[in-house]
Amino acid sequence: MTLRKTLAGLVAGLSMTLASGALADWAPKGPLKLQIGFAAGGSTDTMGRVIAKVMKEQTGWNVIAENKTGGGGLAMFTGISKMPARGTVIGMGVNMPILVNLNKRPEQVPFDLDSFDYLGTVARAQVALVARADAPFDDLAGMIDYSKANGGIAVSFDAAPQKLLMEVVNAKEAADFRFVSTKGEAEGQKLILGGQVMAGFSAGTHVKYLDSGDFKMIAVGNNSRHSYAPNTPTINDLGYDAYVDPYFYFATTAGTDPEAKAALADALAAAIESDEVQKVVRNVASTDPLNLGAEATKAMMVDGLQNVGVLFGQ
Amino acid sequence: MVDFATMIAGFSDAFTLWNLGFVLFGVVVGQFVGAVPGIGPVMAMAIAIPFTFGMDPLAGIGFLVGVNKGGLVGGAVPAVLMNTPGTPDAAATALDGYPLSKAGKPLKATKMALFSSVTGDTFSDIVLITVSAPLAIIALKMGPIEIFALMIFTFSVLSGLIGASLIKGIIAATLGLLCGTVGADPEHYTPRLIFGQFELYDGFPLAAVAIGMLAISEILRRLAQSQGRVRPAVDLKDTGHAADRRVSWAEYWACRFTMLRGASIGTLLGAMPGIGSTAAAFMSYAATKSASDAPESFGKGNLQGIAAAESANSAVVGSNLIPLLTLGIPGSVGAALIISAFMIHGIQPGPLLFQDQGRLIYGLFGAMIMANLMNLLVGQVGLRFWIKVVAAPETMIFASALLLCIVGVSLATGGLFGVAVMLGFAGLGYLMASFGYSVVIFIIAFFLGPRFESSLGQGLVLLNGDLTGVIYHPIAMILLLCSAASLVWFLRQNQHAHED
Repeated sequence: MTLRKTLAGLVAGLSMTLASGALADWAPKGPLKLQIGFAAGGSTDTMGRVIAKVMKEQTGWNVIAENKTGGGGLAMFTGISKMPARGTVIGMGVNMPILVNLNKRPEQVPFDLDSFDYLGTVARAQVALVARADAPFDDLAGMIDYSKANGGIAVSFDAAPQKLLMEVVNAKEAADFRFVSTKGEAEGQKLILGGQVMAGFSAGTHVKYLDSGDFKMIAVGNNSRHSYAPNTPTINDLGYDAYVDPYFYFATTAGTDPEAKAALADALAAAIESDEVQKVVRNVASTDPLNLGAEATKAMMVDGLQNVGVLFGQ
Repeated sequence: MVDFATMIAGFSDAFTLWNLGFVLFGVVVGQFVGAVPGIGPVMAMAIAIPFTFGMDPLAGIGFLVGVNKGGLVGGAVPAVLMNTPGTPDAAATALDGYPLSKAGKPLKATKMALFSSVTGDTFSDIVLITVSAPLAIIALKMGPIEIFALMIFTFSVLSGLIGASLIKGIIAATLGLLCGTVGADPEHYTPRLIFGQFELYDGFPLAAVAIGMLAISEILRRLAQSQGRVRPAVDLKDTGHAADRRVSWAEYWACRFTMLRGASIGTLLGAMPGIGSTAAAFMSYAATKSASDAPESFGKGNLQGIAAAESANSAVVGSNLIPLLTLGIPGSVGAALIISAFMIHGIQPGPLLFQDQGRLIYGLFGAMIMANLMNLLVGQVGLRFWIKVVAAPETMIFASALLLCIVGVSLATGGLFGVAVMLGFAGLGYLMASFGYSVVIFIIAFFLGPRFESSLGQGLVLLNGDLTGVIYHPIAMILLLCSAASLVWFLRQNQHAHED
């Protein structure tokens, strides 16, 4: 090893030690609120509450989880964007409702992507188009043909981007899909099991029905395939230039002191790496935890806004 | 099918001292938070969920079930004793419970609520344990078109509650429906009537509206009437009769058909996700009133009215677990929280649950039955405690209740916005009650309106806009015919009442 490399290593090591020392020094003044943009009882709420509990145990900070509902995180992030940047609040939301509103009604949304400092992600929801096991088609092409031959079929969705994704297919194929809006995944699954709709979207909880043999996968809504169904193509793979990639992410007010921001991001990362959170994320969201980190989370939001534009045909 | 040995093993798991201790703890917590205005069992369950992660699944889920069930009994207490229900389903209990309390029989009224609640709950638990699979299949057949028809039927039965002035009833219902339309529309997610407030995107927060309209407006009215005098929140004048402090077997037995009807309505509605205990409580109440020989005695302290409401709203809780356990679909917020507790332990409620986790499920069934018994025992002690509490001066009781409502709504809705909504609706409730408009009708319309709208939208998509297609849905057709018959019957009754 050359002297230069040794010195460089020493400097890097020293700066990391100093940085971690600084992080250990920073603590929120008063309680740290982890605001969850969804109601109690859902997957976001469950993950958020467990992350808050683990953060509290790991850091000794007084971390309080609270639900701030309204527009899938829109109300919660509106509040956070207007707060002074003191590093005492973290918002946990899902990117898609925020991006859809930023695209569709930017003049009404009192913030933009730069209103926040991004801290990381916890997982990406596994969006799948599924059908009952006895449906007369096995893939998207078959579903389109069946729909055309039968004057259209009903497809359930519980978030606007899922409908927009299928509108992209509809526009290209004139498949005549009709869309049934449901309040939550569970209601959509009930409609599929009950035979009221032929297919529908799910964001993770379909895996148990695949295991039981009640459902089959038709296509993946994300921009990459799912680990449990590697042979099922994405809608993007099939030549429709759009996808839906919902991330559970964390952000705080823009302009937060870099030291505080780094401490918050590190504390979240450490909590997400804990066995408890890893297990809960796998159990609740049926996917592996995925923390993109602060920088990549911002890039994910910027790319996501562009993709939402594609979904809206812009 | 789960074999017999697994069932027995499951039940014996439930009866360990450790697990029973958690169920008992849950029931005590549930009854307490249910009885304290503003907080409620749902918030208690949400706070407790992360802590169940470190517990054995049966102990954790047994605790949550205890909280949920205890909350039902506790919820009736402020409704009956002070006319300040914290949830809309308890408002049905208050209709007869509060007049009975005012007549010097608070213990009788609360005991009837306790007994009928436990009876309804036990009935639906037995249905869940024995015939959940066929009921789940019926629930699956209830698609949006059938649910829409069921909502029509519900409204037609509930029209019996409108009271003397049809016009005032219609105005109250229309106002409730209008407030129910606030927020993003269910089809296209276009925001309606939110006036730039994103907090309203999901509509007015339910807890804030219910507590504001039902509890705070009553507290305001009572404080306004007190005019500085010091008097107890509930006048516990002793009638001198021991019979007024208890519910005799004869009185309980006289309500058997009412409770059976209530429990059946609650069980059926509970098995269908999303309809809920409010509709069940009021449907049962309205049906009991209509079937009674003395409908004019309702609203004046009739034990049958309490039995009808409590047996129905409690039965919903047990049968809410039918779609949850068999299909993995939660039927209410409470059930969604129980699903979360299952899922953080890596247990997926749904089609494979009985096969994979038979022992746990039968353990849960055992815990539910034990929770019902404990509800009865804890309730017997707890009711005496609450009656002592409400004997304190009303300025103290109502001021504390007001504070608790503000804290509870702030917690449940995530801040002061919910409190502002609560106070706004408290003012509306006060005005409506002062001018003779039914707050109950408003609340029912507000709660059922969004479900009615979404099933209408879904149904129209499924019928491809062709309403005549409904004839291919026999369950919906039967329900629509029943609705028509019910409305005709109601109108004739109304006509006879006016002629008399």
